[in-house]
Amino acid sequence: MGNWLVNLRDWVDARLPIVRTWNTHMGAYYAPKNFNFWYFFGVLSLLVLVNQLLTGIWLTMNYVPSQEEAFASVEYIMRDVDYGWILRYMHSTGASAFFIVIYLHMFRALIYGSYKQPRELIWIFGMLIFVVLMAEAFMGYVLPWGQMSYWGAQVIISLFGAIPYVGEALVEWFRGDYLISGITLNRFFALHVVALPIVLLALVVLHLLALHEVGSNNPDGVDIKKHKDEKGIPLDGVAFHPYYTVHDLQAIAVFLFIFCFIMFFMPEVGGLFLEAPNFEIANPLKTPEHIAPVWYFTPYYSVLRAIPDKFWGFVFFAASVAIPFLLPWLDRSPVKSIRYRGIFTKIALVVFISSFIILGVLGVWAPTDSRTLLARICSVLYFSFFLFMPIWTTLETTKPVPDRVTTKGGMGVFGSLGVLALILALAIIPLKAVAAESAFDCGQIPCAEVDFDLTDTDSLQSGSALFVNYCMGCHSAKYMRWGRLADDLGIPESIAKEHLILGNDTKFGALMNISMTEGYAKKVFGGAPPDLTLAARARSPEWLYTYLNSFYLDPSRPYGVNNLVFKDVGMPHVLLDLQGDQLCRPAIAIAANGGIKRDENGEPLEDSYSDCGRVVAGEAEGSLNPEEYQEAMYDLVNFMTYMAEPSAVKRERMGISVLLFIAVFFVFAFLLNREYWKDIDH
Amino acid sequence: MSNDGTNTGRRRFLTAATSAVAAAGAVGIAVPFLGSWNPSAKAKAAGAPVKFDAGKMEPGQLVRVEWRGQPVFVIRRTQAQIDSLIENDGDLKDPESLASSQPTYVDSRNRAVKSEFLVLVGLCTHLGCSPKYIKKLDSAAPDASWNGGFFCACHGSKFDMAGRVYKGVPASENLVVPPYTYETDSLMIIGVDGENA
Ligand code: FES
Repeated sequence: MGNWLVNLRDWVDARLPIVRTWNTHMGAYYAPKNFNFWYFFGVLSLLVLVNQLLTGIWLTMNYVPSQEEAFASVEYIMRDVDYGWILRYMHSTGASAFFIVIYLHMFRALIYGSYKQPRELIWIFGMLIFVVLMAEAFMGYVLPWGQMSYWGAQVIISLFGAIPYVGEALVEWFRGDYLISGITLNRFFALHVVALPIVLLALVVLHLLALHEVGSNNPDGVDIKKHKDEKGIPLDGVAFHPYYTVHDLQAIAVFLFIFCFIMFFMPEVGGLFLEAPNFEIANPLKTPEHIAPVWYFTPYYSVLRAIPDKFWGFVFFAASVAIPFLLPWLDRSPVKSIRYRGIFTKIALVVFISSFIILGVLGVWAPTDSRTLLARICSVLYFSFFLFMPIWTTLETTKPVPDRVTTKGGMGVFGSLGVLALILALAIIPLKAVAAESAFDCGQIPCAEVDFDLTDTDSLQSGSALFVNYCMGCHSAKYMRWGRLADDLGIPESIAKEHLILGNDTKFGALMNISMTEGYAKKVFGGAPPDLTLAARARSPEWLYTYLNSFYLDPSRPYGVNNLVFKDVGMPHVLLDLQGDQLCRPAIAIAANGGIKRDENGEPLEDSYSDCGRVVAGEAEGSLNPEEYQEAMYDLVNFMTYMAEPSAVKRERMGISVLLFIAVFFVFAFLLNREYWKDIDH
Repeated sequence: MSNDGTNTGRRRFLTAATSAVAAAGAVGIAVPFLGSWNPSAKAKAAGAPVKFDAGKMEPGQLVRVEWRGQPVFVIRRTQAQIDSLIENDGDLKDPESLASSQPTYVDSRNRAVKSEFLVLVGLCTHLGCSPKYIKKLDSAAPDASWNGGFFCACHGSKFDMAGRVYKGVPASENLVVPPYTYETDSLMIIGVDGENA
């Protein structure tokens, strides 16, 4: 049995060097035995790469790269394709995870001087991977064709317009149209799924070949090849397989745990991984209030915004991405690892990382004067790190580097955490100073705080009835299917057909369309009422709830009502009969200490500066009393939250089992690793 | 690197156990990838049961009804066509539809719920072409003794007026009878099992 396998291997090996390849890269690749935490991220980035490739291939099976259907096809994947939401979240979470591990991997190179001679080429290939990855991520983000996809692409592509003489022509050529359109989308799709992945894979191969040629660096930055035993094996090296394969398994388990936690419990990460406006379909006529790229681009985006000139902004933006390419030649230090470097390097590194984080956070926020100032300071610090590196690395005194690797070197866990705390403090304190945000989350008022409960079937059912009866007169929910709704909410088909589903001939499995056509709506309302399937994700459930409670009478408006949350909304208050008249009163005055101002009788005082800041009940009563109305609105928004992501409850339930499984895997991987490493002095 | 002092048994056990857990994980990861190839909610909605009223059909007429994107043949058989079925039995591969695909509630010989209306998936059981309906004495009949039935031009398979396959042709099974049921005398729902309706 085993024999013919060996024969087969030998037969192939005589024709293809499989054994040699295995040995070169795994079995007889000797890596320094003192790898620490920072050496996990190379393997992890490979893992994420595989994840992106596989889920990406699977997503293309249902994604439609056209202006008309891209957005709908993503929702189709999220709702109608079995397990589609898992594949999509794996891919979207993977995109951010990719940048997290790559940034940490680069940081490792920075502290241990892994880019220095003889590893310059590894660094160059790595930087190329990073740049290609940015292009890949950028184009991938355009594909869902939401508002952020569209306007992000608009801004980034327009950047190239800053190039003198050819800029405008270049932008037009790049888009293939006079605006970002389906034509642009199609070419981005081709580049994202075919061209760039091929380039990326080729670069990864080169990166690894170059690494295995010169050998891995280590936290001491010493060359393990100087001391070999009689067989020519480095005394301080261990075979990558099995020692580092089992070692990396534990890290993979921990990484997967965190990855799956995010994917199953917070896939949007508060708008950082998936931005809320991207749940609204691209609209070339309306820019979202605040556009920010996804978090991994924001440090460079901040540099762009910090420069008060289009051309120079572009130049510095490009330079901020490109300047790390020069590291191997900027660093003149005789030693590699930070362990043996002088104080200048340590200070410079801490300041550099802090400014990078600050730039990243600022890029997510909307700009203000003080933020722009901070961004400028940090941009200067960012570039100074590179530009002055030749000077301080020459001036500082370094410590003697040991001859062999050390196993107890470094600053230890607590030292590292201390430095992390220092870096974060340096980043957070200046950010705090410019954080003050005056605008409310819900238009002119703060959002109400409500806890929605997607497992409350009664609430969801009455919410669905309200939605169909009151909202679907004008709004569609065209990414949702009637049948799915009825099944999830426990409504039998016959009852759904009789009481819920609009239209006599509508099939049970049909999408929740409405009979009002877009053309008719444009004529009557001056614009088609937006589709509401994803409203709770594009805004937030709290926003919707506050909005529905904030209509008030305003005779100056065409429909006689206005809204505190959505000023001058072009929509009638369809629930007026239920709620009754509402009037706008000045807001309650807030004292400087944050408390409510009261008159001598203890009655709250009204703010004399605003004449409209809260709604109070008017004369005519509605058919529901205020509590009943609020409960109805709770049900309605609860339902809309469900509809925005019908798999949400299932997602969290599944997540728990997945996390438990990974925990079990970790225990085995941990024991296995300990078993292998117990004889090695490390 | 010497193996002195290493506990090979323990190592082997842990390697096997970790591999087993990893393999289980790999199977788990494969589920969404494989599962996503199932018909989606859209496909299912498009493939929902269809209603067809056979009441206005002429005797001997064939109507193609689309169900799940496939042609479903509904034929109103004449009494002569039904009577002639018995004559074919000797020339058929599977006259009693023992090895063929059909709901349990259709007759195994005339292959219908009501013998007057024959309902078949109009795709040849050989490689999926759609056969032609050729009546007895039609000039296009494949041979002189043709009793009426279906002829697949792709590779020459022949079926009788109950969709049963003849001997000596490439197809091995009788034409498939889809699940269907009657809502009224002549109004049928194709795609729903009679039992559950
Ligand atoms: S497909 Fe009908 S005979 Fe081959």
